[in-house]
Amino acid sequence: MTIKPGSISELQELLPQSQRVDEVSLEAVAELIEHVPEDMTATVQAGMSLSEFQSRLAKAGQWLPVDPPHPQAVTIGELLACNLNGPRRFGCGTIRDWVIGMAVVLPDGRLIRNGGKVVKNVAGFDLCRLFVGAKNELGIIVEAAFKLLPLPEAQAHLAKTCKSLGQAEELLEKIWASDLQATVLDMHRIDGDPLTLVVGFAGPSADVEAQSGAANALGFADDASLDYDAGFRQATLNFTSVAPGNLISTLQKLGDEAFVARAGNGVIYHSSAKPVATPSPVLQKRVKEIFDPKGVLPG
Amino acid sequence: MNSKADKKNLTRLLTEIVGGDAVLADDRELVVYECDAYTLQKNLPTVVVLPGSAQEVTAVVRLCAELDLPIIPRGAGTSLSGAVLAVDGGVMIALTRMNRVLAIDPRNRRALVEAGCVNAWITRDAEKHGLFYAPDPSSQTACTIGGNIATNSGGPHTLKNGVTTNHILGYEMVLPDGSTEWLGVEPDGGEEVGGYDLRGAGIGSEGMFGVVTRVLVRLMKSPPAFKTFLGVFDSVDQASQAVSDIIAAGIVPAALEMMDQLITQALEEAYHFGFPLDAGAVLIVELDGLPKGVEQQARRVEEVCRQNNASEVRLARDDAERAALWKCRKRAFGAIGRLSPNYVTQDGVVPRSKLPEIMRFIRSVSDRYELRIPNVFHAGDGNIHPLILYDEREPGQVKRALQAGSDILGKCIELGGSVTGEHGIGAEKIDFMSKQFAKDDLDAMQQLRRVFDPEKRCNPHKMFPGAKRCAEFTQKKQIPA
Repeated sequence: MTIKPGSISELQELLPQSQRVDEVSLEAVAELIEHVPEDMTATVQAGMSLSEFQSRLAKAGQWLPVDPPHPQAVTIGELLACNLNGPRRFGCGTIRDWVIGMAVVLPDGRLIRNGGKVVKNVAGFDLCRLFVGAKNELGIIVEAAFKLLPLPEAQAHLAKTCKSLGQAEELLEKIWASDLQATVLDMHRIDGDPLTLVVGFAGPSADVEAQSGAANALGFADDASLDYDAGFRQATLNFTSVAPGNLISTLQKLGDEAFVARAGNGVIYHSSAKPVATPSPVLQKRVKEIFDPKGVLPG
Repeated sequence: MNSKADKKNLTRLLTEIVGGDAVLADDRELVVYECDAYTLQKNLPTVVVLPGSAQEVTAVVRLCAELDLPIIPRGAGTSLSGAVLAVDGGVMIALTRMNRVLAIDPRNRRALVEAGCVNAWITRDAEKHGLFYAPDPSSQTACTIGGNIATNSGGPHTLKNGVTTNHILGYEMVLPDGSTEWLGVEPDGGEEVGGYDLRGAGIGSEGMFGVVTRVLVRLMKSPPAFKTFLGVFDSVDQASQAVSDIIAAGIVPAALEMMDQLITQALEEAYHFGFPLDAGAVLIVELDGLPKGVEQQARRVEEVCRQNNASEVRLARDDAERAALWKCRKRAFGAIGRLSPNYVTQDGVVPRSKLPEIMRFIRSVSDRYELRIPNVFHAGDGNIHPLILYDEREPGQVKRALQAGSDILGKCIELGGSVTGEHGIGAEKIDFMSKQFAKDDLDAMQQLRRVFDPEKRCNPHKMFPGAKRCAEFTQKKQIPA
């Protein structure tokens, strides 16, 4: 069943009474608790959409450096539970790198807090990272605190079509070995479009300009769009993950299949991808049994 | 493990696994392992083993499981919180012989190292590929990567690049039951790993989940440009405000460190760097990145310093001067011996905008308890390190020092911060856990512990309230950190 609590305390009451909860809608738990620009941190309830959160942060010239597709439809809770990310993952990391605190309602109704609202904190075990990507199978994330970054002064995205994977590889290796500090390093081949390499830069305008110039010299054209990511991943959620150095050899095995790849991370979104392996099955099972002994939540 | 016969038997069994030269059982040898750099509590482990391979670690851990003995994993023993104290005896597994850099993978920007590998050795070996390992605790020339995982270590340069958890891709751990798991990214694998993030859960677990044997770390490309300068201020207040203003200006320096007058004077006396002796506080600001952006941000930082009445903003002339500056900063605790026979370091964190307030509070604590409290700390992170100076020979000073530390950490919690930013809870700060966290929060942490160590046999009596204390709670001379 789907539950739609009106508050965190209502969720605390509902969860332990339920046999099985497939989904929790936190529409009613969607406040910005605190944004302190001079601390570069913010605390927000899990039901707020990512785009709403970003626009609130932008008023003070800051942002949470993640860019998953469809931020208007993604809540902070989903962002964390599914560890969502986008093209800027190469330069900005994933949400695991930015979360500093969390409040979670456990299946037995307890509200627990872990971490805090300061950027450095090693008091106690790190449950925050356990809950990121756990798909709300261990507890429902209701609030999170993040460290933030200033919005970049400038950014630019550039693209170059390539005749072959060989040519793309050659360019990729040049960028990899250079002093360029790319925030985006993507490759895609979507529905008959040519193979395309995408680089992005963000930061002080002088740096973005200089790096764009260097990319131009490698044949990249200005003003590329990153829209391909949201478009493609609406239909394709599966991905293959390899060490970045094995990207090209993996792509060669795909034949003509369409893909979007985080070339710098070795993550390839394509429809025939098999689910990534889950190691340590005994420990994984124990985590679930200890945090959700009655199996109230999925998984 | 009380009778001599039992210990003799244990020593024999361990010797069969690791050889006689890798087992220490004599009290005269064990005394080295009675504490880490937190010296207020001491106790001898029953025995210390120095395994040379993951297989030996596994065999030792299995033996301990059979005999129901506590295990205490240990790196270089530089912990400042008593994290590797053998509270109730037990088998201490010191990883210092497993210290190799196994492989540098420049294409994938990764390094595979053994758990006892010294932090600084990774960058030493990665440098020729233009790569470095980012987290740089001040003890980095001694501390091990396994210990860094245990405490989720920080350092001056974690402001921009993040702490240990942001740079550990995966690791191999021998669990207390003797099983071995690789957690996180495999050496040749992709960075997406299925299931719950056990890698992340284990980082910062203070050696209570198992014995780390091998580690896959992320390397970063060395930035092409640096600019490092000293901002000289009349008062800690002005310097604290400058820190807040730099962050508020949207600049994230690679490092942003503060030292007050007592520290700069002690450092100057010890290392003769050329610090101004009359300054109330000095900021070290390091910017890195691409040349033009660094230039642009440097101008802005200088402006902010001047607006906060910096009397001088001095740029490091070259790489040599920059290196000398950092060497000084990282040896700051070592210079304290010149100021006082004993000190206790705290590791509180406050929201960065509360820095001026916490620094004023520390000054009032110093006055109230009549103890000098110099400060050298990671200002950009809001991570303070007040060094409370005392003399154990003077009646009442130890008690006052501990009380002063307690007051400061209490204030950190009150200001919305934490009692530890990078040193960990260990044996030292157990009493603060129930002040910072509710009972349910602590219970959830214990649930996580059950996943790895249901018997609570791995590094026991740490972190959680109600833990056993050492019978011997003494105040001896500090070891320079």
